[in-house]
This record gives sequence, structure tokens and C-alpha cells, in this order.
Amino acid sequence: MSALRAWIEDRLGLRPVAAFLARKEVPCHKHTALFYTGSSILIFLGIQIVTGVLLALYYRPTLDEANASVARIITEMPLGWLVRSVHSWSATFMIIVVFVHMLGVALTKSYRRPREATWLTGVLLVGASLAFGFTGYLLPWDDLSLAATKVGTNLPKALPFLGAWMTKVLRAGEDVTGDTLSRFFIVHVSVLPLVLLAILGFHLYLVQRHGMSVPLEAERNKVTPPSLPFWPNFVLREAGVWLVLLGLLLTVAVFLAPGLGPRADLMAPAPEGIRPEWYFLFMFQTLKLFPAKVLGLNGEMIAVLFMMAGMAAVLFLPFIDGRPFERKGKVVTALVWAGLAYAVGMSVWSLL
Amino acid sequence: MNRRRWAIAAAALLLVGALLGAGRPAAGGQAAPATGLKPAGAEPGTENPAAARPVRERMAVLVILGWVWVSIAVLLGVLRLRVREADRVHRMGLDRTGEGYAKGQRH
Repeated sequence: MSALRAWIEDRLGLRPVAAFLARKEVPCHKHTALFYTGSSILIFLGIQIVTGVLLALYYRPTLDEANASVARIITEMPLGWLVRSVHSWSATFMIIVVFVHMLGVALTKSYRRPREATWLTGVLLVGASLAFGFTGYLLPWDDLSLAATKVGTNLPKALPFLGAWMTKVLRAGEDVTGDTLSRFFIVHVSVLPLVLLAILGFHLYLVQRHGMSVPLEAERNKVTPPSLPFWPNFVLREAGVWLVLLGLLLTVAVFLAPGLGPRADLMAPAPEGIRPEWYFLFMFQTLKLFPAKVLGLNGEMIAVLFMMAGMAAVLFLPFIDGRPFERKGKVVTALVWAGLAYAVGMSVWSLL
Repeated sequence: MNRRRWAIAAAALLLVGALLGAGRPAAGGQAAPATGLKPAGAEPGTENPAAARPVRERMAVLVILGWVWVSIAVLLGVLRLRVREADRVHRMGLDRTGEGYAKGQRH
């Protein structure tokens, strides 16, 4: 055994990594539970990759075969329905945990100096996760996914100058067609995974470089909170969380397997009750509420610009909240809560 | 302590064995899908069921799901013991002996 270990060490030189993990400490405070969300996201990402590869073995991204191949997966392939259900539900679970992770970091102000770059890469990862959801939604090629994609890809069109061009690039043409499906498939299975893994690697490097954050009060009062060794004490606790989440995922996937709508017809009118995935509902509702004209300007353009401003504010939050210990920091926290209430309220309204 | 560990490991192995044993014949029943399943919806407007599947496959999945939760419960018990042991070793300072450990307070 020791000879094998020496052989591996000679080739890979993993001793510094093992020594780093053995020294790594996790601060123990009232927000420590939030640290479990980071590794849970990685678990769900791993499940997504494995189930995604299995689905890709049978899925065919063409106009004629996309819907039929998904139907074949869920009706003819042994446990195909379960693989698709786990893929779909793990995406939902992942997005939920991603939002909890991001909100936790925002509300505890863990993005403060020197972790601004960690926040920036984290927000880019959220964007990549949402892009996965958006591109994956079209792949079953049923009437709802077609209509929702038409609405989604039409959004950039409202922007001045580059808007029409962006819509054309997204759709691979003027309208959503079989070319859009191929494009979304390629982006979903090759471009986004590469982008996500690259940013994720950098994000994890930054997390290790700066270590886990301590609460704001502890830093202000220059108090060092108690800590716990990462290995094995913290990892064992994390493993318990992973097990429970895996059990929940499998249970939900078994009992609430997603269906498949009728094959999309490019000539058919948009069906009733078009609705995007739940994490886009607040944007969808915002768009619906904006009037056609605002002060003589295109209402949709104003709505899209309003949402882009919100996204930019989230991306640059560490720089906006440059003085987290002062009164301005409290205002920013109140704005984060207000943003959360807006997103939840709009989503619920959209569902009613 | 070692005896308890061995007992837990043996119980876990037994459960995994039983899981594999229960899953295999049940999973075998799914090789040939039951008749009556709708063919792949190639025509526009053809709707597919949410999760149409043979009864035997459904039963096999439910059995496996039950075993998964039993396994999770056992593994959580094992993890709890390991965590308590690791925390005790940490509190006694045995994990950092000779490394000049002086950062912060111990949990």
C-alpha cells in the first residue's frame, strides 16, 4: 500500500494538497451552516453531468427527432424516466442551493475585502447555471418549451443597437427553428460545461486562497471565532448533508417525474399558460407588468434595461457596498432583502 | 470501540448486500417493457405520459428507494459516531500535536 502511495506521490505530487487540507480550518459561528451549500452545489453538478451524459446517449437534437427521442427515453429505456427526472430535479435543487448560497454570502457580507473576486466569479457561475436551465428547457421540443424560448430569445431584441443581432445569434436565425435547437444543444452540452468548469475552478481556488469568512461582528470586534478542522470534522458533517439531499432528490424524482408535452409545431399559435422555469418567473412577470410605452419609450426596452441594471448591481455588489461596517452597509442589506422580496413576490404573482 | 465499528460495518455491508439482492431480480423484470406503452410521439400534438412505466419497474424503484433511505439512516448513524470521535480527538488536541497549532480557540 505504501509503495502504491509512493508511486502516486512521485507522479502527481499531491502531498502539498493533502497537507493543505489537513491544515485547513473552518470557522464555527452562527452562519456555519451556509458553508454546506457550496459543496452541495458541487454534488448536484456532478449528478447533472452523469445523468446528462446518460441522456445525451439517446437524445437527438433535430427538429424531427428531439421530442420523439425524449419520449423514447421516458417510455422505452429502462429507468430512462428516472434518469431524466433526476436530471431535471437536480437542476432545480442546484438552482435552489445556488440561490441560498448567494443570498447567504450577500446577507452576511462575506463578499467584503479581500473576497470581491470570489463574489464576481460566483455571480458568473449563477449566470452559467441559469443559462443551463434556459438552454435545457428547449431540448424536449414540446409546445411550452418552444413558446417560452420564443419569449426568452425575443428579450434582447428590445435593446437598442445590438439587440436584434443578439436575438439572431441566440436563435440562429430570425425565428426559433430546428437550428435554434441544435445551437441550444451544443451550448448546453459543450460550451456551458467548459465555461462553468473554468469559472468554477477559479472560484474554488479563490475560496481556498482566502479561506472561509467570519461574521461581520467578529471581524469588527477583532475576535477570532472558534474553528474546526476541515478534515475530518467538517467533511464528515458535510457528508451527512449530502446523504440527506441525495435521498430527497431521489424521492422527489421518483414521485414527481416530469412529463413531456406535445411535439412543438412551428406553425401553431402560442399555447395558453406559457411559463418559463420557476427561476425566471419574476423576470417574466416584470415584463408582463410593464406598459407598452413609458414616457414615449418602448416599455419592453425599459423593462430589459431595468433588469440588466439589477443584474449589474448584483455583480458589482462588493464595490457598491464598499463600507460594510457603516450605515451604508445596512442600507445595502435592506436593498438585498427588498430585492429578494420583489423576486419572491413577482414569482408568486406569476403563479397565481 | 473497535468491536462497535466492526458491528456497524457488518450491518452496513449486510444492508448493501440486501439492497443489491433485492434490486437485481426486481430490475430484471424491467428488461422487457410492458405492452401498452405509447410509442414515441413523433407527430405534433402527441402527448406523452409523465412517467408511464411497467408496474414491476415501478415496484422495483420503490423497493430500491426504501433501501436507499434505510442505508442513509445507517450511514448517518455511522457518520454521527465518526463526528463525535473526530471532535473528541480535536478537543484533546491529538490531531495537531507537534504542528504548533495555536490558531483561534478550539471548538
